Amino acid sequence: MFNKTIAIALLYALLSTPLLAQNYVVNVNGIVCEFCAYGVGKKIRKLPFIDPSQYDQGVKVDIENQRVFIALREDALFDKSALFKAIESGGYDPIDIRETSKEEEPMEVIE
Amino acid sequence: MKPILAVLLFTLASNLYAHQPVMDMAPRWNNGYGVQTRIEHANSETTTWLEGVYTFKPSLRMTLKVPHSNGKTGDAILAMPIKRYKNAGAFTSNWGLTPSVRMPTGGGSKWDAGLSLSYSSESRKVYQLYDLYTLGDTTGVDINFGLVHADGKGSSWFTLWDITAKDSDSGQHLLSGPVLVYFKRNLILRAEYKFSAYDDDSQWDGDYFGFGVGLVY
Repeated sequence: MFNKTIAIALLYALLSTPLLAQNYVVNVNGIVCEFCAYGVGKKIRKLPFIDPSQYDQGVKVDIENQRVFIALREDALFDKSALFKAIESGGYDPIDIRETSKEEEPMEVIE
Repeated sequence: MKPILAVLLFTLASNLYAHQPVMDMAPRWNNGYGVQTRIEHANSETTTWLEGVYTFKPSLRMTLKVPHSNGKTGDAILAMPIKRYKNAGAFTSNWGLTPSVRMPTGGGSKWDAGLSLSYSSESRKVYQLYDLYTLGDTTGVDINFGLVHADGKGSSWFTLWDITAKDSDSGQHLLSGPVLVYFKRNLILRAEYKFSAYDDDSQWDGDYFGFGVGLVY
């Protein structure tokens, strides 16, 4: 009975732990300069699901590899279409998006 | 500052180089705007240009340049760059067609029409700009090319070489020299020196110095 109680408590604790919001990385054609990074970052930061506490106010642009990292708020609904539109309105072309892996998570703010 | 107010307050640049794009590289985002001032010294005269740009969308901008020299305001130039961008991997380029008009805000009564055809491209390491233009009695070409160094922390250096050739009713001249451009987030600084490589122009004499500072939002 005692073991069963512990198991239920552990299961409950596990299920009730909020999942960390997943961050994403977008490959973006043509984003090669710091001014490009500034414009795209400016547009993305206006989106409601961006977490400004991570990266550089929620965004990190890697102009070396033409990638844009975005950090999501835990309580927000992610809208891929709005993200792509923001990048396009910044003057560049998003190609694809995927969840970031631990290995490629930006370690320092470079934008 | 409201964008349209910025444009009205800070229109653009030089009688000498009035054709040049106002901050060609930025802003290229929707509803972006910028202001810039440039100080040019040539022909024993210093001209201060107030310049403004508003980007409706990446393919359409409006620019305004107003020169100020010897306590007088010169003729303002209003232009509408129409750009077609191409982005591919680590490379971005654009073709631009820019109709313009020079207005007699300096006290005269003559209006001049202008047109520019330009191409610029940028990769991680190289920037280049070619601009063929006509304005009033002047036809010219501007070429900028050189290396880009980004530090990965929000700033870039451009070390460029400039070639400027002009033909007008007063003759022809050719200038050439180095240009240094620095970007830091939304700040741009530009310094340039051009020597006179060829001068058969009755209204041109000697070298050219220029310095500019601009902000985009």
